[in-house]
Amino acid sequence: MKSHSNRRAPPLFVAAMLASFAARAASVEITVTDSHGARIADAVVWAMPKAAAPQRPRREASVEQRDQRFSPLVTVVQTGTKVRFPNRDPVRHQVYSFSAAKPFEIKLYAGTSAPPILFDRPGEVVLGCNIHDDMLGYIYVVDTPWFAKTAADGATRIADLPGGDYELKVWHYAQSMPGEARAIRLRADETLAAALNVSLKAQPSRAGTR
Amino acid sequence: MTGRQIRPTRLQDRLVGFFVVLLMTVQLVSFLFIRYAIDHTAQNTMREELRVGSRVLKRILDQNNQELALATSVLTYDFGFRESIATRDRATILSTLGNHAARVKASGMAVIGLDGVVVADTLQDGATGKPYPFPNLVERAGQLGRASGVRVIGAKPYQIVVVPVLAPLPIAWVSMSFVIDDATARDLQRVATSDVSFVQVSGGEARILATTLGTLRRAQLAAAAGEVIATARDGATTRLGGDDYEVLATPLEDTGQVPIYAIVQRSTADGLTAYFLLEVILLIIAGLSLAVTLAGAIRIAGRITRPVTQLGAAAQEIERGNYAVRVGGESSDEIGELGRVFDRMAAGLAERDNMRDVLGKVASNEVVARLLEGGDIELGGEERDVTVMFTDIRNFTAIVERLTPDQSLQLLNEFLTVVSELIDAHGGVVDKYLGDGVMALFGAPVTREDDAQRALNCALEIRRRVEALGPVLAQRDLPHPQIGIGINTSRVIAGNIGSPSRLNYTVLGDGVNLASRLEGLTKRYHVGIVVGHATREKVRGIVWRELDKVRVRGKTVPERIFEPLAREGELAPEQAAHLARWHEALEMFRHRRWELAAAGFRELAPVPGYERITFLYLGYVRDLEANAPGEGWDAAFTLYEK
Repeated sequence: MKSHSNRRAPPLFVAAMLASFAARAASVEITVTDSHGARIADAVVWAMPKAAAPQRPRREASVEQRDQRFSPLVTVVQTGTKVRFPNRDPVRHQVYSFSAAKPFEIKLYAGTSAPPILFDRPGEVVLGCNIHDDMLGYIYVVDTPWFAKTAADGATRIADLPGGDYELKVWHYAQSMPGEARAIRLRADETLAAALNVSLKAQPSRAGTR
Repeated sequence: MTGRQIRPTRLQDRLVGFFVVLLMTVQLVSFLFIRYAIDHTAQNTMREELRVGSRVLKRILDQNNQELALATSVLTYDFGFRESIATRDRATILSTLGNHAARVKASGMAVIGLDGVVVADTLQDGATGKPYPFPNLVERAGQLGRASGVRVIGAKPYQIVVVPVLAPLPIAWVSMSFVIDDATARDLQRVATSDVSFVQVSGGEARILATTLGTLRRAQLAAAAGEVIATARDGATTRLGGDDYEVLATPLEDTGQVPIYAIVQRSTADGLTAYFLLEVILLIIAGLSLAVTLAGAIRIAGRITRPVTQLGAAAQEIERGNYAVRVGGESSDEIGELGRVFDRMAAGLAERDNMRDVLGKVASNEVVARLLEGGDIELGGEERDVTVMFTDIRNFTAIVERLTPDQSLQLLNEFLTVVSELIDAHGGVVDKYLGDGVMALFGAPVTREDDAQRALNCALEIRRRVEALGPVLAQRDLPHPQIGIGINTSRVIAGNIGSPSRLNYTVLGDGVNLASRLEGLTKRYHVGIVVGHATREKVRGIVWRELDKVRVRGKTVPERIFEPLAREGELAPEQAAHLARWHEALEMFRHRRWELAAAGFRELAPVPGYERITFLYLGYVRDLEANAPGEGWDAAFTLYEK
């Protein structure tokens, strides 16, 4: 499963372009485990290049509200990405965040009427709904185009990396301390396997509130 | 009857006293039991009330806690509040806290950063930037979503609630404080219905944090609080300022380092008020039942004793001789039966008395008494010395010949009544009435020493009374009554004589006949009383005149007969001289000195009382001079017939 958030199928020319890159691009196969060695899903991994990353236009991402949940729970975007919050529920929502990376509030809305929010600073953004205290979601903003999110098996892949030096990082919403960072050097056509470790809090951070 | 005077307590009083004392004892015992039970119950009830009050109090505090926690949670979800916290602008946050604390009437509100440092505090401005003083509350809030406890800040206890500010993950902690002061205690007092105090104990020293008590009691409790807390975990009675209190001390939960106790207390006197009313009611009931019992006991005792009193009175009546008294016996009980028995007894007594009365009329009282008391009436007799007296009115026929039969009988009865009464008075017994005469016994059926003396005294008295009757009869133009009395003492046979169905108690014997003869001789000598020699020998103090010697036919020994003239010393000297002359002449006569004797008789012939006897003796002398008597002449006069 591709870690890119865009669900829509790419236009043909994009596909061709990607294919031309792929011929000389590296990729990293990553598994994320917790301190007990268990593989964990929804861990965000990203590769921060030592060199400047090429500027490419951002595609809009979206975090749906469905069945009074944020879906997906964890979304990774590159800085400068606009994120829409389409409401698939029959009731309105008022999505907000007090996180330092992006405090915002979308007044009560329904459907897709809400304007997209631009996430221009890296970091963790905790999403909540002001009228549904149970709703909890995360947007993690990274300052690199190369990022991925682990699947249920705790594995993911970052592809199309140009050769060079990177710092490989991990974040999990339940982490008890900043995740492991690892420096890697990629050759152009190499596929690297990396294992990253993150310590999780013993208990869910929102225990007991309901 | 004397028993009554000796013992003044009446039966009725004793019965009433017994019932009253019994009831009072029962009541006293019941009252003491009830009193004990009440005291016991009252104390238990009060303790239980205190326990309930204490539980209610804790429950209310707990509920308050939850409500406060809830309210605080709700407040912290307020978007504006969260927004304000997110600003990290201290002035804004402080202002928001003041505003929100006022919404739930909290005493104070503080925001603590996730790092445990106070961001803003409305209660203590100086706390900002310092670690929150109750980190365990924050820690617990982190684990459980909220935490609460009682903490002392300054000198005041506060109920503190700590909750996270969720956005939606915790971005800070909010602590909300609610002071526990006297007003809080008064609020609790209304539900716990007891005085409520919150006491802090630190270093063995108790301090009243909040209370419903007044200044004075507050000081008293403060002094005793240490002991109360130590002893009254499950309730105790303690003395505060001279009054008893039921107290109960309960430690409050989660008070941090310093234990805080809630002490509930009630005045024992207040708790007993309701029971005091009960006691008063019990006393009234006891008094009423005592009064009813008293009345009932008097009534019942009266019912029992009234017939007894009546019986006593009736018995007194019977003692006085009133046999007609009846008590009746209407009731079917023992007392009624007693009354009926008493009435039958009275009837029996009356019958017996009546019989005695009737018998007394037909026979002498003494004879009747002897007959009635002697039990069996037997035929047969006994020999005894008896003085027999016969009386007769010499000239009764002459007296009554001018009277109607009724008048005659009336006069006779007058005589007989007087004579009978005198006989009775002298202890004699009327044996029978013989026409106008009476036969009387002295010495039968009862023998006495002085039978003869009494008989003679009786005769003298009869003679005097009959002589006194003379003038009375003379006024009715009737002749002077002549009484004749013969008395003789002899050994006779006394007993019941007759047939078994009809008996006479009487005496038999020659002596009896002689007495009758002597009575007859009064006519011959014209004297009132003729006494036989045997009687004369037994009588003292009488001056006698010897009348004659008489020989009863069939007897060889002649009997000297005498007339009592007067009591000794009552005889005039002249009369004494005449008597002496008489006896001298009589002596001459008996020695056949006819001349000398006749001279004496003639000398005395005109003297009153001597006319007849001298006439008789002068006649004897003439006869004897004409026919000189033989050798055996003994100067006795032979009685051939009556």
